[in-house]
Amino acid sequence: MSPRKKTIVTLILIILPILFFFGTICVGRYYVSLTDIFRSIWQGITGQNSGLSQETTAVILQIRLPRAFLGAMVGAALAASGAAFQGLFRNPLVSSGILGVSAGAGFGAALAIVLFNNIFLTPLFAFFFGVLAVVLSYFAGRIDNTSPTITLVLGGTIIQSIFSALISLLKYMADTATQLPAVTFWLMGSLASTKTSAVFLSFIPMVIGMIGLVVMRYRLNVLSMGDREAKTLGINVMANKWFVISFATLATAGAVCVSGIVGWIGLIIPHIARMLVGNDNKWVIPASMSLGACFVIFCDTLCRTITGGEIPLGIITALIGGPFFIYLLKKTKGRNW
Amino acid sequence: MSLLSLENVSFGYRPQQMIFENISFDVRPGEIFCIIGPNGCGKTTLIDSILGINRPQSGRIVVSDTDLHQLKPREFAQNIAYVPQSHTKTFPYTVLDIVVMGRTYATKMFASPNTSERSRAMESLEQVGLKGFENRLYTELSGGELQLVLIARALAQEAQILIMDEPTAHLDFRHELMVMEIISWLVKEKGLTIIMATHFLNQAFYLENEGVKIRVALMNQGSFKAVGTPAEVLTKDNLKDVFKIMSSIGTTDEEGINQRFIVPLKNIR
Repeated sequence: MSPRKKTIVTLILIILPILFFFGTICVGRYYVSLTDIFRSIWQGITGQNSGLSQETTAVILQIRLPRAFLGAMVGAALAASGAAFQGLFRNPLVSSGILGVSAGAGFGAALAIVLFNNIFLTPLFAFFFGVLAVVLSYFAGRIDNTSPTITLVLGGTIIQSIFSALISLLKYMADTATQLPAVTFWLMGSLASTKTSAVFLSFIPMVIGMIGLVVMRYRLNVLSMGDREAKTLGINVMANKWFVISFATLATAGAVCVSGIVGWIGLIIPHIARMLVGNDNKWVIPASMSLGACFVIFCDTLCRTITGGEIPLGIITALIGGPFFIYLLKKTKGRNW
Repeated sequence: MSLLSLENVSFGYRPQQMIFENISFDVRPGEIFCIIGPNGCGKTTLIDSILGINRPQSGRIVVSDTDLHQLKPREFAQNIAYVPQSHTKTFPYTVLDIVVMGRTYATKMFASPNTSERSRAMESLEQVGLKGFENRLYTELSGGELQLVLIARALAQEAQILIMDEPTAHLDFRHELMVMEIISWLVKEKGLTIIMATHFLNQAFYLENEGVKIRVALMNQGSFKAVGTPAEVLTKDNLKDVFKIMSSIGTTDEEGINQRFIVPLKNIR
């Protein structure tokens, strides 16, 4: 990229999520203005009365602001880990769930709902089983102390289908009046869980994972050359792979455990990012985070405004993401692949 | 003094089935060590061992007085650069993105290559004659250009030893000669040492004619049948033994170039 283009793209990638962030707070059945947002945030920080109605400050500070934050974090985390896995597995068709983290988290959540039906245990179980699934995939794909890309993907596919089967088993066993709808709704993804402030504990793994991926982003270029070349270029392939997998898993598991399974982001956002900034992962990772945040905020706004109730996020991301992706594919004539 | 030496190195994927056994040789600074042999004789596996991808069952590989397996990845890349036989393209990186990866070992653990590393990459791109290619997508290059880019990436490593596995495998005559010219320039002008596997026997004569110090090792069924100058090793009798072919060896004096050449004539049934 030319220096001029770099500056413009960087500015867009910084400004766009900010616009989406404040935009989504304004929008809803209860309209609030931009100045209302700043005034109530000021009130929240300083405790000075802003002169706004209690309703307005409650909608902004307790409902929309946390939800916008969570949406941005989930979008950025899923997109960054999707981009990282695409580089690591040298395959533009993989996404954040390739090593089974989504299926594992889904199983964990379903298990918690069926066994305890506890709002705090569900994300904990989801996180734990999401990470467990990746660990299992990693060891399933390990051969003679190395982890070749192809066997890792194979391991991931196997673990994914095992956990999917277990999810089906739990659904089959679940109480059809209460538990089954809860499990099904969780699996379709939603940001409605921001109602409990414990949700923000999930920021810890997401932030650690994303920082890790940002820091490792150049190594992804080298890893995408394949094990043999990466080794001769002077990196410890096993260690670097392990780091990338760990960080991507922390980010994804952190996101999925509170948002449920939101598809598409880890697959398409990195591609859109590449159309914008090229293929150097030095740029792809931060660009994916920015665009992922925008995309989830946008989709979540639709989820809560289109109808009277809430449409699950996973449905909207697929309905918007699919056609948009086809449009981009036609427009760029697939030149980026 | 030897830059790289193998001492009785043996390797096999299964204990009872060795790919090569008791291979020993020294590579001296500023020479080309050319490994020639039929398909499946163990050339690539031997190269994998020198690259540290295979761990030999027995024997030792020593690089500048250090056991190869004691080298950290970074130190390895500082000493040995590699040009692969084939490269699978995944993402459309720019040519410069690819070449600058040769500077990975000089890049701090969690950083990206800086401007000085990028300008070194530009230099190596210029050295292989691809000035102006830096912003092209490497997925859109021809096979010959891609090979030159991969050579430029290896050059950017500024390592003393270059390992090339069939560097002209899919190239036309023109690009084959371009690669050969670069190889001879690297050895004569830059003083690099090259270990190269090839199926094009005439390349050994070409390089010898260019005034490059070259030794040929003729490999068959996991061991060296002969090691020496191209003329000593590439004889009709040796080719008959190893490749099971009848051949003719002649000398051309076209274009004022006095060079030997081999023409394969027929298989021995």
